[in-house]
Amino acid sequence: MDFTQHELGPGVRLYLCETDKFTTLTCKAFVQQDLKPRTAAAAALVPLLLRRGAQRFPTTRDIARELEELYAADFSADVLKIGERQILEFYFQMIDPALLPEGEKLLRRGLETFWEISSRPYGSGRFHEPYFEQEKHTLIQELEGLVNEKHSYALVRCTALMCSEEPFGIYKYGDVDTVRSLENQEVYDHYQQLVNSYPLDVFVVGSGTEQAAEVLAELIKGRDGRNALHSPQQVEVGAPRCFEEFMDVQQAVLVMGYRTQITYPDANYYGLLVGNGILGGFPHSKLFMNVRERASLAYSVSSSIEGSKGLLTISAGISAEQQEQAVEIIQEQVRSIQEGMISREELEQTKSGMISSMNSMNDSPAGLINRNLIGIVHNQLRTIDEVVESISAVSLDDVVRAMQHLQHDTTYILRPSPQKGAANGSN
Amino acid sequence: MDQIRIPGGEVLYKEYLPNGLAVLVLPKKQFLRTFGILSVRYGSFDSKFRVPGGDVVEVPPGIAHFLEHKLFEEEEGSVFDRYAAWGASVNAYTSYMQTSYLFSTIENWRESLAYLVEFVNAPHLTEENVEKEKGIIEQELRMYADHPDFKILSMLMENLYHEHPVRLDIGGTVESVRSITVEQLQLCYDTFYQPANMALVVVGDIDPEDACELVRSRYPERSGPGYAVERFDPKEPQEIVQPWAEAELPISRPRYMLGFKHDPLWQGEDLLRTQITMTLGLKLLAGRSSRAYGELYETGLIDDSFYASFRGLPRLAYSVFASDTDEPETLHERLVQRINQLKEGGVDAAEIERFKKDFWGRTVGSLDSFEFTANRITASHFEDVPYHRYLEVLQEVTAADVQSALQDLLDWDRSSVSILKPVNSRG
Repeated sequence: MDFTQHELGPGVRLYLCETDKFTTLTCKAFVQQDLKPRTAAAAALVPLLLRRGAQRFPTTRDIARELEELYAADFSADVLKIGERQILEFYFQMIDPALLPEGEKLLRRGLETFWEISSRPYGSGRFHEPYFEQEKHTLIQELEGLVNEKHSYALVRCTALMCSEEPFGIYKYGDVDTVRSLENQEVYDHYQQLVNSYPLDVFVVGSGTEQAAEVLAELIKGRDGRNALHSPQQVEVGAPRCFEEFMDVQQAVLVMGYRTQITYPDANYYGLLVGNGILGGFPHSKLFMNVRERASLAYSVSSSIEGSKGLLTISAGISAEQQEQAVEIIQEQVRSIQEGMISREELEQTKSGMISSMNSMNDSPAGLINRNLIGIVHNQLRTIDEVVESISAVSLDDVVRAMQHLQHDTTYILRPSPQKGAANGSN
Repeated sequence: MDQIRIPGGEVLYKEYLPNGLAVLVLPKKQFLRTFGILSVRYGSFDSKFRVPGGDVVEVPPGIAHFLEHKLFEEEEGSVFDRYAAWGASVNAYTSYMQTSYLFSTIENWRESLAYLVEFVNAPHLTEENVEKEKGIIEQELRMYADHPDFKILSMLMENLYHEHPVRLDIGGTVESVRSITVEQLQLCYDTFYQPANMALVVVGDIDPEDACELVRSRYPERSGPGYAVERFDPKEPQEIVQPWAEAELPISRPRYMLGFKHDPLWQGEDLLRTQITMTLGLKLLAGRSSRAYGELYETGLIDDSFYASFRGLPRLAYSVFASDTDEPETLHERLVQRINQLKEGGVDAAEIERFKKDFWGRTVGSLDSFEFTANRITASHFEDVPYHRYLEVLQEVTAADVQSALQDLLDWDRSSVSILKPVNSRG
């Protein structure tokens, strides 16, 4: 289940995966840019504006009706953050045209609709002004609403505090003040630049991809995506910092941030991935076994890797009174891996778990596509088989060597206010 | 094995083992993953029941969920470790009416499947491990309590229902969980975990006979014949508890939820027909292509979190409308107007026909998701709803059916509104 790659123009690539395994045809397009405060906020506004209307479908309702006519076709757009890049993502899925009446016609109509919504927003020379004003407000609410989900809020806060002096500290949707100051023309012009002159990668999974490729090549022609991009910077780590925030919650959320200094292109990247798996990627991992099963301190506890910037974060939902105990047990787990206290079973279970989830990507169109994102950012795609081989080759020494790079940078805890309803925020 | 053709044309194989267990296998060509899910017809609703041949007992809320946690414990090591060694993952969940244990794997599906039926049939309950689990479950309950989606739905249920167990969290309360004993857990286990009260669904590129034979030969002997457990739902009055309720939570903006209480009188194909009819009706009222969605969005009363849904089970039925909004009172007024308007007439046949295309596409497209498909198959079996007839019944439903369902079911005398408002406790 590999992709064949085709150049549609400078910096514009099309990847096709021909298969009749799925009942759907799935298409995703990614445009990437360097993460900067102003353009990040501008790009974050684009997906919200696109769903409001296109030249041929001036309202949300018109778009929705067209997608219903196409037998539940699905369009969405979003922005993602990978390392110090921001990715604008366009997604389209429809039922495999081979299963539809007049499938060929519907395939063309579907892809034309996809590209119409993605690239021809409603308005003339700029976004339709009422939509622009309203969606600015929506984005501000989205940013303010981050606090509604305590676990993701805590993770975002921890990395923002940890990387406050680096581009990575910028949230994927920007920040409220910048969004408030955005001008219609400015966002529109930037959006035009993004689709026309930044690296564009388009993926298609399904049957009859050749025909889809022809239609897409027609729609996307004449673009030059050669705008140069930067790689993330690495920084010196000082003494660990500690932040706490108070809120009227029942449960405390603890997040510990580490620098790994190891990213996707590094030889030891897979050693680090396996190390993270042993630490907190699975229910058999050290964090789950020790923080949850042995000490009963948490229901959820896990760790994850940001492989483009080089971060490892550990998060746990705990009772605030047990913070010290939890931190101690967590640090003990990190130390034990760094000292090589890893059983053969732990290593093998983790590797086979990771290989299994890598192979599972073959069973999902979105999985097949999304796993390439980090490869796009680093200009080096790897196939599922290549990754499986790299994971298989990881030895205990590789894990220890990689995990010894970890430097604890920041601890963040969101905890219940001492008195219900009292205002007690602090850093 | 019996063969059942499901929507999309695939064939489901079904057989009852001599011990009463239903085995259902859906072969999926070309897929690498095998997914197995063993479910017990026993959930959070089942706190009052007759011990076979004995008395009616009532146990503290939260036991089904507690048992789900405890079955992962073995005399030596944990279930997670066994699956990890095969590169497989394992999980479980509890809902209102069922408890399910599931695995997903690329290799070793036979071992994974055999062990699934083994560990679910081998409880290992001790005073010590039951006490230890209480801390973990308490953290789980607190995590949900901080989650606005869960909080507002549970508020609504408390205001719609006087006695029905849907009022309570699936996991119970911190107090009820603390009171649970080993004896109570064992009693519920012995009562409900009987093969005749369970169903196994396996999805993957496997031979159905092969899978069935494996389960037949490896299923542990259980004493006692299969029987139907007699359960007692409290008598629920027609009336709601109160029409309007508000609470505070640390969130960024208010949340609104409107609920209608229905009598769960439908069974079998009637229930399926009602599900389809109401889902069409609610899409007409609140879907992306509806007039209300466009108008409410334009005026800033809703954002894209707005939705409406119908839930119909053999023991529970309700409809909800929900959104984040700055003006819950105004939103409510406008929704009342729109719902009344559509109840009086105006269900458009052309729109219903377009929705049918949409539902057809969703149904066929959902076949690629093993989890969704397996859940459907399990629910269909336990609830005795013929989902394999979905596309036929969909074609039979008319605009007039939708019109009268909306008139009958959206009864203002049996409705209630819940609102969550922000409490600002951040400094």
